[in-house]
Amino acid sequence: MYKLKNIDKKFPGVHALKSVDFSVGKGEIVGLVGENGAGKSTLMKVLYGAYQPESGQIAMGGKPVHFSDPREALAAGIGMVFQEQSLIPNLTVMENIFLGNEKQFSKAGLINWKSMGVAAKKQLAKVKLDIDPGTPTSKLSFAQRQLVELAKVLTLEERVAGDLVILLDEPTSVLSKDEVKLLFSIVRELTSRASFIFVSHRLEEVMDISDRIYVMKDGAVVDVVTRGQSSVEDIQKRMVGRNVDKEYYRERRQKSFDDTKVLLEFDDVSLPGRVQNISFKLHAGEVLCIVGAEGSGRESIIRAAYGMISPLAGAITIKGTVLAQSSPQNAAEQGVGYVPRERKIEGIVSGMNVHENMTLSQLKRFTTLGVIKIGAERALAKDWIKKLAIKASSELADCGNLSGGNQQKVVLSKWRSGGSDIMLLDHPTRGLDIGAKEDVYEMIRDMSEEGVGILLVADTFEEAIGLAHTIMVIKDGSFRKHFPYAPGQKPVPFDLLQHMI
Amino acid sequence: MNMERIKPHLPWMTLVVLVVIVSVIDPSFLKPTSLLSLAGDIVPLFIMALGITFAIYIGGIDLSAQSMANMVTVLATIWLSSMGAWTAVACVFVGAALGALSGYVTTRLLVPSFISTLAVGGTAYSIAQWLSGQRSVSMDAALRDSTFGWMISRTAGIPHELFIAAALLLVCWFIERRTVIGRNLKAIGAGELAAVASGVNVARYKIAAFALSGALAAFAGLLFAVKLSGGAPNVANGFLLPAIVAVLVGGTPLTGGVGGVVNTMIGTLIVAVIRASMLYLEIDATQQQMVFGLVLICAIALTIDRAKLKTVK
Repeated sequence: MYKLKNIDKKFPGVHALKSVDFSVGKGEIVGLVGENGAGKSTLMKVLYGAYQPESGQIAMGGKPVHFSDPREALAAGIGMVFQEQSLIPNLTVMENIFLGNEKQFSKAGLINWKSMGVAAKKQLAKVKLDIDPGTPTSKLSFAQRQLVELAKVLTLEERVAGDLVILLDEPTSVLSKDEVKLLFSIVRELTSRASFIFVSHRLEEVMDISDRIYVMKDGAVVDVVTRGQSSVEDIQKRMVGRNVDKEYYRERRQKSFDDTKVLLEFDDVSLPGRVQNISFKLHAGEVLCIVGAEGSGRESIIRAAYGMISPLAGAITIKGTVLAQSSPQNAAEQGVGYVPRERKIEGIVSGMNVHENMTLSQLKRFTTLGVIKIGAERALAKDWIKKLAIKASSELADCGNLSGGNQQKVVLSKWRSGGSDIMLLDHPTRGLDIGAKEDVYEMIRDMSEEGVGILLVADTFEEAIGLAHTIMVIKDGSFRKHFPYAPGQKPVPFDLLQHMI
Repeated sequence: MNMERIKPHLPWMTLVVLVVIVSVIDPSFLKPTSLLSLAGDIVPLFIMALGITFAIYIGGIDLSAQSMANMVTVLATIWLSSMGAWTAVACVFVGAALGALSGYVTTRLLVPSFISTLAVGGTAYSIAQWLSGQRSVSMDAALRDSTFGWMISRTAGIPHELFIAAALLLVCWFIERRTVIGRNLKAIGAGELAAVASGVNVARYKIAAFALSGALAAFAGLLFAVKLSGGAPNVANGFLLPAIVAVLVGGTPLTGGVGGVVNTMIGTLIVAVIRASMLYLEIDATQQQMVFGLVLICAIALTIDRAKLKTVK
C-alpha cells in the first residue's frame, strides 16, 4: 500500500540509503531494525517526508506521491509518533490532540471547548485511554503520553480519505514491561484502522509485534524476515555480521597496556538521569570502550569524565586527584581531551581557521601577557597539518569548509598538540568515509602507543571490538559486563548484544 | 559571484555608493572641512558603537550603552572639581563595572543579555536622574579646559576627537585580533558550544565583552560631557539606535562571530553619511530615528546568520 522503491539518499561524504526498497501492506505491522548508523533514521525521515530522496519512487495506494515536507506526508495519511515526544506539556490533552486542527471546533476564532472535549474523548477511546481530555499533559505518565500521541496521530482517520500509515520511533524505550504489553495490544487492535512501522533497538519486541522485519546495514536493506521465520540470533548476525578485516582496525598494532598506571578512575559514580553506580579504571595506553544501546548512558559517562556533568554520587579521579569541581576547564587543564559526537557543533568552531581551532584549548601556551603569538600558533598548525596529512589549503583555511575527516583530525590534533594524555572519544568516526575512519583508527593506535588512555564510544560493534583492550557493557545506565583484553580472544558482537538488549 | 562571497564586502561598497550619491546631490559634501567636521561629530557615537561591537560579536547585545553614557555625563561633571583628570579613569571604571554586572547577570543568572543590559541601563539612567536632580549640570569651564580641553581642540585643523577615535579603534582592534580575550570572544560568537567543549571559560569572557562595552560607553559619555561642558540624564538619548545600526551595517551580525571593530568603523561612517544626507534633505531631527529604525531592520535581515537560529521570538 505504501511503497518505496530504489530509494537513494546521500549526504556530503555519506551514502546514507543505497537503493532501498520498502513496503507496508494494509493493516500490516512492519519492523525496522539496524545498528546505529545503518540508515534507520534516514529511512524513517524519508518515510514521513522530512527528507527527500535523490532518486527512487514513492507510491501510496498505487499512486506515485512526492512529499516535500512532513505536512504533505501527514495530509496523505502518514503519521509519526516521535521518540522525543512532541506533545506540549503545558497544554491540555485535548489541545494537544487537536493542535493545528482547532478549526473544526472554532467559530469566529473562539473555540468550543465542549465539542473539542467530546471529540478528544472519542480519539482517546481508540487507544483505550480513559482520562479527562482537559488534563494538563504534564500530569500524565510517560506511557499515557505515548498513547495520547498515538491518539493524536489517529485523528488522521477522520481527516484523510484512504489508508493510514503510522510510524512508531522507539516507542518502548522508556516504558515498563506491562506498559509495553498494553501498547502492543492496542497497536494490534488498531491494525484495523492503520498500518504501522515499528522502529526499535529492542529486537525481541520488534519480533514480537511485527509481521515482517526489515534488517538494515550500511544504508541498505540486507534482509526482510517474515514472522516466525528467523531467530533473534539470526537477525543479530545480519545486523552486524560483516566480514571484518582485522587490519582495518589496526589490530596488529594493539599492544598490552601498562596496568600499573591509572589515569582516570570512576568510583561508584551516579549521574543525573539513568547512570547508576559506574566504576572503572582507565590505564595508560588502554583503549576502554563503553558499549550500550542509544540512551543507555554512554555519552553521559564520557561527558562526566570531561566535567560537563557533575556526578550526584561517587568520585571521579584524574591522575590521582579527585575532581573537586566538575568543569571542562579543570578537566582540560588536567590533560583530558574531548572529541565530541557532534563534531560540527562542539568539535570545531566553523568560521575560525585551522590554527585558531587547534589552539583554542591551549591558548595559555601561546601567549605572553594575554597577547597571542600567532607565529608560534601557525607553526604548530603547519606541523600537525603535515603530521596527520590534514587536507586544508593552509593553516588559514576555515575549518567549517573542511571535510568531516579533516575536521576530526583538527579536533584530535587540538588535544594531542596540547599534550592531553586522557582522550575521551565519543563516536569519533561518525559520518566519516572509510579512508578517514582508517586514519582515525591509526591515530588511536598512535596515541595508545604513546601511553594515552582512551575512553571510547564506538560507532559500531566491530569498531568497539576491533579497537578496544577492554569493553564495558552498560544497559539502562547500569554496568552489565566487563570484557577484559586477552590477545587473540576478542569477544564477538553477539557476546555484547546479549548484555545490551 | 555568489552572495556569500560578496557579503563581507557589502559594508564598504555601501559606503562608497552612499558617498557617491550624496556628493552628486551636494558637491560641497566632499570638501575637506565639511568631511572633517562630519567625522568629528560622529566620534562619541563611534566609541559607543565600538563597545556594542564586543557585545554583538559574542552573539549578545548591549542596550545599556546610551544610559551608561547619560549617567557618565552627570558623574563626570560632578567629579571633575574634586578628581581632576582622574575623573576619566573613574568614569571608565564605573562603565566597565556596570558592564561586568550585565555580563554577570547574563552568564550566572542566565538572563538574556537584551534584558540584563536593559535593566542595568535603566538603573544607570535612574542614577543619572537622581544625581543630577533631573536637571542639566555644568562643569567649571576653566577647569574643563585645563583638564580635558585637549580632547576637543584641533591640530592643523583636525579635531582631536579623531585621534582619540583612531587610538581607541587601534586598541580595540588589537584586543580583537591579537589577544586571548579577542580570540575567545570570536570562538564564543562563532561556536559557543565548541568553545565550552574546548575548556574555554566562556562565562568569564562573556563578562569581559560586556565590561569592554560598558567601559567604551562610559568613555563616550565622558566625551559628551567634555564637549557640552556639562551633563544631563538625557544628552545621549537617540544614540543607541544609530550605534547598533553602525555595528550591524558594518557587518557584525546579531548572531556574532564575524565582523569586528574595523567593520564598525565603516558602519559608523555609513551612519554619518546617512545622517549628513538627512540634514541636507532637511529631514527633521525628530524623524531621523524612523530612518534609522528602518535601516536597522534592513541591516539585521541582511546580515543575520539564519543557520544559527532555531526559533525567533
